[in-house]
Amino acid sequence: MSRALKNRLRATALWFATFLLMIVISVPGLWVVLSGFRPNREILAKPPVWIPEKLTLNNFAKIFGFGQDQVAIPVLEYFRNSLVIATTSTLIALIIGMAGGYAFARFRFRFKNTWFLGLMLFRTVPGIALSLPVFMLWSRLGIIDTKLGLIIVYVSLNVPFTIWLIDGFFRQIPGSLSEAAQVDGCTRWQAFWRIEFPLARSGIAAAGVFAFLTSWNEFALASQLTRSTDSKTLPVGLMDFTAQFTIDWAGMSAMAFIIIVPALILTFIVQKHLIAGLTFGGVKG
Amino acid sequence: MLRYLRTRQAKLTPILLLSPALLTMLFVVALPLLFSLYTSLTPYRLTRPETIETFIGLRNYMRLFSDPDFWSAFGRTILFLAIALNVEFLLGLGIALLINRITWGQRTLRTIMMFPMMFSPILVGFQFKFIFNDNIGILNNALQSLGITDQAIPWLVDAKLAMFSILFAEIWMSTSVFAILLLAGLFAMPRDPLEAAKVDGCNSWQVFRHITLPFIMPFAFIAMTIRSLDVARAYDIVSVMTGGGPAGRTELLWTLIARTGYENTRMGQANAMAYVSTILSIAFTYFFFTKLVAARRYMGGAE
Amino acid sequence: MSRLTAKALIATALVPLIAAPAAAQDYGNFEGETLRVKLIGGAQYEPLYAEISKWEEMTGATVEILSRKNHFELDREIKQDIAARTLDWCVGSNHTSFAPQYGNIYADLNDLIDAETLAAFVPLVLEHSTVDGRLVQLPRHSDVSNMFYIKSLFEDEENKAAFKAEYGYDLAPPETWSQVSDQAKFFANPPDFYGTQYVGKDEAITGRFYEMLVAEGGQLFTDDWEPAFNSEAGVRAIDWFVDLYNANAVPRGVPNYLWDDTGLGFASGTVALNLDWAGWSAFFNDPENSKVAGDVGLVRAPKGSSGKRTGWSGTHSFSITEACENKEAAASFVTFLTDHDRQMIEARAGLLPTRTAVWDDAKGEFAADGRDFMVEVFDTFSASMSEDAFTPPLIPEWIEVSNELWPRLQAAMLGDMTSQEALDEAARDALVIMEDAGYR
Repeated sequence: MSRALKNRLRATALWFATFLLMIVISVPGLWVVLSGFRPNREILAKPPVWIPEKLTLNNFAKIFGFGQDQVAIPVLEYFRNSLVIATTSTLIALIIGMAGGYAFARFRFRFKNTWFLGLMLFRTVPGIALSLPVFMLWSRLGIIDTKLGLIIVYVSLNVPFTIWLIDGFFRQIPGSLSEAAQVDGCTRWQAFWRIEFPLARSGIAAAGVFAFLTSWNEFALASQLTRSTDSKTLPVGLMDFTAQFTIDWAGMSAMAFIIIVPALILTFIVQKHLIAGLTFGGVKG
Repeated sequence: MLRYLRTRQAKLTPILLLSPALLTMLFVVALPLLFSLYTSLTPYRLTRPETIETFIGLRNYMRLFSDPDFWSAFGRTILFLAIALNVEFLLGLGIALLINRITWGQRTLRTIMMFPMMFSPILVGFQFKFIFNDNIGILNNALQSLGITDQAIPWLVDAKLAMFSILFAEIWMSTSVFAILLLAGLFAMPRDPLEAAKVDGCNSWQVFRHITLPFIMPFAFIAMTIRSLDVARAYDIVSVMTGGGPAGRTELLWTLIARTGYENTRMGQANAMAYVSTILSIAFTYFFFTKLVAARRYMGGAE
Repeated sequence: MSRLTAKALIATALVPLIAAPAAAQDYGNFEGETLRVKLIGGAQYEPLYAEISKWEEMTGATVEILSRKNHFELDREIKQDIAARTLDWCVGSNHTSFAPQYGNIYADLNDLIDAETLAAFVPLVLEHSTVDGRLVQLPRHSDVSNMFYIKSLFEDEENKAAFKAEYGYDLAPPETWSQVSDQAKFFANPPDFYGTQYVGKDEAITGRFYEMLVAEGGQLFTDDWEPAFNSEAGVRAIDWFVDLYNANAVPRGVPNYLWDDTGLGFASGTVALNLDWAGWSAFFNDPENSKVAGDVGLVRAPKGSSGKRTGWSGTHSFSITEACENKEAAASFVTFLTDHDRQMIEARAGLLPTRTAVWDDAKGEFAADGRDFMVEVFDTFSASMSEDAFTPPLIPEWIEVSNELWPRLQAAMLGDMTSQEALDEAARDALVIMEDAGYR
């Protein structure tokens, strides 16, 4: 056997082994996705039903209210809210994060490290400790059960990490590039957008994905601050499948499918930037 | 004069640039924290708003210090964090090393690897509650069908297994974060030292131990710092899976706080607990952060 | 929906008296008013809300549903509203177990709803809805538990003979809790099959313990509100659970079970006896959801050693806030939601009505449709609702005391403490709560 062929075979074997491992890791998640397409009776059965006897779209039909005497879950509203809230808060967090990251990377000022650490530490306060005070404050301001209220909270959740990644990324870019552009007559503002921003794109994309996933999946604070279809997000909507005595696991799984797929697609699309962004963002600089 | 203006401007600009970030954090975190600090000094009950006006000094804190339930939850939370973060690191490292060696179809593999990150913590809680159900759960069914056991293993009840189960759920959800960050570290690694070491006759373990590992440690600390920032997300998982039970065997600070504050409506007491728990997470984050700064220095990167 | 209406028509034809009084009801005119409401959500409860548009048409008012979530989340939301002083809504779903916690935020319905309307409700349920002499809620539907069992197991000749040989008396659906205990051990064959099961955490296990305590002749508190559950009766009550757990007659996971686990467990056909709420009846007998459909038997909840039956009961209800600006419209709304026809809709789905007449009419309808099982369900549950039902103490501290009790009950089950130790410790902490609350 030639050496090249041997190497090729080894690489293929490694690929399959890794692929299998990844699938095994995903099993608990795949089980949820599959449950969305099966009736309750089959999922939680004893003796177990290993090979689905029938796959059905009934759970989805029920969510959208196509069945008889079944109340629809306002999943479209939830989806819209989630999308608006997660996207807006991610964008705002990125803008604030770029400003902050730029400040940390390009300027010298006193107590820089302390500021930086302080900003991180704000993020450590557990959501459960914040939920009531934030609720009280928001209700004074009249932004309970509004998208705005949740957006503000998510921005603050995401700003520290965003600053961190983007700071590292800007440090990676030599300051001389921007200076050269300024010599050529650009203002600092123009130099930033023409030179530094394009180079930092990956880092910003990586920060964006993390911020988006955090906001998209957040439950603890959203369940406190949202109440009606005006602002309820998808994860909070999952609780619609629980009643005092029952949990409709099949229905919940179907809804989970609706939550997971957009996030997965987004992640797949920005894959390339994600790795590159994390590579240079966090440590080097 | 011009120079003076310039330095002045240079001093003001970073403040200006940072101010949106600072304002958000002050508004959403610091202000509410002040409020909860105040309420932790009152016998505040949710259902009796007027109790917020009574000042009782440190009584809530004194109560805490003599409350064995609180301290066992405190200890258990530290244990939970320590185990979860370490196991997540090791598993994440293994996955990252494997995927790093693959050249074809990596984008797909990475997406599969990040699959658990798409799951909301509340969903993870429900998912593992059903998987670990002792009677009709899929795990026991599988073990029994495969003939590994003829018992119904009480995953969510047994003293050790219950802790294991909530740890498993947490680790399943969060290992991806480590894996992706460590993978990024491996990508950033320069090839030359590796080649040089091989030429010098180091075996792969030695290469890993002395070159790869030191290089990616900063990434590991970043991951740890990031994870310790939002590890309280585990509250959603635990509250659905066991609610801190049975008999307090999986009680973490967060479940205890939620029950005291919202069910028992003793918000003053709960906020005192929340303060202690905040200090705990600050300590964890600070610890990893200093490690990170040290590792960065070692690499000669930052500053 | 049309299927249901058709059934309703048949039923009305058979029992012509039913519809008459309800149709005559006048709900008033509230043109231009908007009523802000918070309702309990969940598949079981939502069909009623489809009726709201009818009330809107009749009165000209608009109903704005501010939130619709399960009871525990709604409870949290209402507590937040009290704390933030944002009680800017009129009608909220309520429950007899939750109601005492809310203090005086809800109006006394005796002043808002005429006595004639109230007289149509089951008196015991109205009594349960009263806190400190104020009727703070209008009952929507009640709940109490009875014993479901797999019929074929009890009819099997081999089982009968073997049981008689082992325990010395005939195998029959249980009349006492000690029989349940015997039968559960007899049928248990872990890990494939269990004798019975119970919920094991949160207020659920406290409630189950509490009703057992009462059936054993004990009480939770003395008349001076001193915890009294660490009595001999208390130990007997808790030992019933501990004994079955140690005998492996219940799934090992019960300390983590809630209502969904017990319900789904029985429906999976792996449990012989299951004390459960009325709402599950239709589910258990539905072949789509349950493997034991068609084989479900039902008897009244068994008796404890004192001769009293267990009967922990709760009632879902609607309340009107004191802050409500148009209490008249709110009163009309809650009256509508609990009127005869509306309760019939919920009764058809298996929920237990709170109006005396609806009990009979629903039963009549089931009989006419040939739904024999549902007739049996309503017979059994109406007997226990009127004779056995009791609520937890209607005090704000109930949930808090419960949170001291249930971890200790679990500890006893798992062998971390003896039954007496567990109860003593819970009693000690409960005493602190009662003292803090100013009862003593």
